[in-house]
Amino acid sequence: MTHTTRSYLTLPLRVVLGGIFIYAGTLKIADPVAFAGNVAAYKLLPPFGNYLMAATLPWVELLCGLLLLLGLRLRAGATLILLMNLVFTLALTTAIVRGLDIDCGCFRQGGPKTTPWTALLRDLAFMAGALLLLRLEKRRDEPSAFSSASTGTNHPE
Amino acid sequence: MKERARNEILTVSRTLLKEMAVIIIVAAIIGLAWNRRMLVESWTGMVNRPAPAASPAAARLPLPLGIMQVKELFDRGEGYLLDARDAVTFAGGHLKGARSFPLGEFEARLPEFLKQVPKTMPLIIYCNGYGCHDSMDLGKKLIQAGYWEIFVFEGGYPEWQEAGYPVEGKKP
Repeated sequence: MTHTTRSYLTLPLRVVLGGIFIYAGTLKIADPVAFAGNVAAYKLLPPFGNYLMAATLPWVELLCGLLLLLGLRLRAGATLILLMNLVFTLALTTAIVRGLDIDCGCFRQGGPKTTPWTALLRDLAFMAGALLLLRLEKRRDEPSAFSSASTGTNHPE
Repeated sequence: MKERARNEILTVSRTLLKEMAVIIIVAAIIGLAWNRRMLVESWTGMVNRPAPAASPAAARLPLPLGIMQVKELFDRGEGYLLDARDAVTFAGGHLKGARSFPLGEFEARLPEFLKQVPKTMPLIIYCNGYGCHDSMDLGKKLIQAGYWEIFVFEGGYPEWQEAGYPVEGKKP
């Protein structure tokens, strides 16, 4: 794959995934109390834990989204998005298993309800996107890692 | 050769971990600072008291409360407990001191309620736990009716009972 082909793939992936997380983070930042209520509905954290999660998680989402959009620290941003979605997926799965009839609280707080199943499928798609992004990034680094290993020069990273 | 490549990968993954840690720490600091009021209030059990006339009734929503905050208000004798479930369910057990206000009978019961309970009284509404939306719906209607401080205890009767807090009317 040439460098240009890769950036043709990486750019839309970065913009879409980054945009989604900026959107998701901003909506939650706008209404932390409602988001805390939605987190509480999962019944996974102690009462104050719900508020702590509601205060911090949206900012991680927003920051990761911004990094992806700007193309800075791509690997760290994409890995965090992957990990966050892994946690979301686990939380949604436990909600489904426990038969909780709740709103996922993923984007807009309140309003039309998104069922855990829909949210689960959506999160899997995000995870696939983050994985693909990581793969594309890895491919770009691999050759340089080998060349620096054989020539003995230090890789700038 | 292999050793070098492995070291390289280790350095890269260490850098990755460091970068991820920095992102999380920065986000957490901003988030904690941004939401310090909400956090302090939820920690101390104090709740957001919206200043009257600060926002139109339509824009306000009932505020969700956790069981610890509800228990604190309960212990201090503050707030008026409202049970949004139907009368039969209410009769089968409810939070101690709660008053029945079934969502389905809202129109019929409102006039009498308005006469008895002042609009400045904080109301804590609950129903059958997180899957039940009656308490939130009742809260919205009571805001429309002019009540100022509406809280929803989302854990509801099941969480209260599970915690072993005072209930009454429960059949043996």
